[in-house]
Amino acid sequence: MQLAQVVGTVVASVKSPGLEGVALLIVQPLDRGLAPVGGTVVAADAVQMAGPGELVYIVAAREASLAMPEPFVPVDHAIVGIVDAVTTAEGSP
Amino acid sequence: MKLARVVGTVISTINVPVYDDRTLLLCDLVAPDGSPGDGYLIAVDTVGAGAGETVLLIDEGNSARQILGATDAPVRTLIVGIVDVVEVAPGEGQAEPRAGAAPTRPTRSRARARPGPKPARKAASTAEEPARRTRRRRTA
Repeated sequence: MQLAQVVGTVVASVKSPGLEGVALLIVQPLDRGLAPVGGTVVAADAVQMAGPGELVYIVAAREASLAMPEPFVPVDHAIVGIVDAVTTAEGSP
Repeated sequence: MKLARVVGTVISTINVPVYDDRTLLLCDLVAPDGSPGDGYLIAVDTVGAGAGETVLLIDEGNSARQILGATDAPVRTLIVGIVDVVEVAPGEGQAEPRAGAAPTRPTRSRARARPGPKPARKAASTAEEPARRTRRRRTA
């Protein structure tokens, strides 16, 4: 799992069966100091509560589709939690 | 499996149900010699690890689901062990040097090699002396 920040939304009216009603968000993966790392990805919102600007954690690969109501759907990144706080020995980043 | 060092915690109240009542720890990946590795992972703790500890991670979904006993959970990264010691055989790992670890390894191995022969000679000489004594005693 990785930290990410929601930076936008994707609206798609024609989707693969099983993805109806699933919100798609653009997320920017972050390093542990909360600095952007790599490019943005489109992630399905499994908590159905995330919105732009929020700090979330995402799960990638096959496990992402297991977070969906329908298990066998073409999803490779899913938001599985909204982060309240990250604490490290150096303090909150 | 991967070696990592626990550096912090991630607190979350709104999440997928499988993460309820589970501890999420922020883990920096490390090389076998303890030098920083490539990136970090957020992992579910199954062993009671704490900040500063070196741990074993699995980053593979099927194993993670079996360990948690949850067949359809969106979980992939778990802490499955707390590491006491990592030993790397001398010369091992030089075939695949990692950035950052490469400069320290040759100097360490040289430092170990230099004082090595000296104690060996001393040990050999001290081993010979008692042997001579016993021979003399026996002949006398």
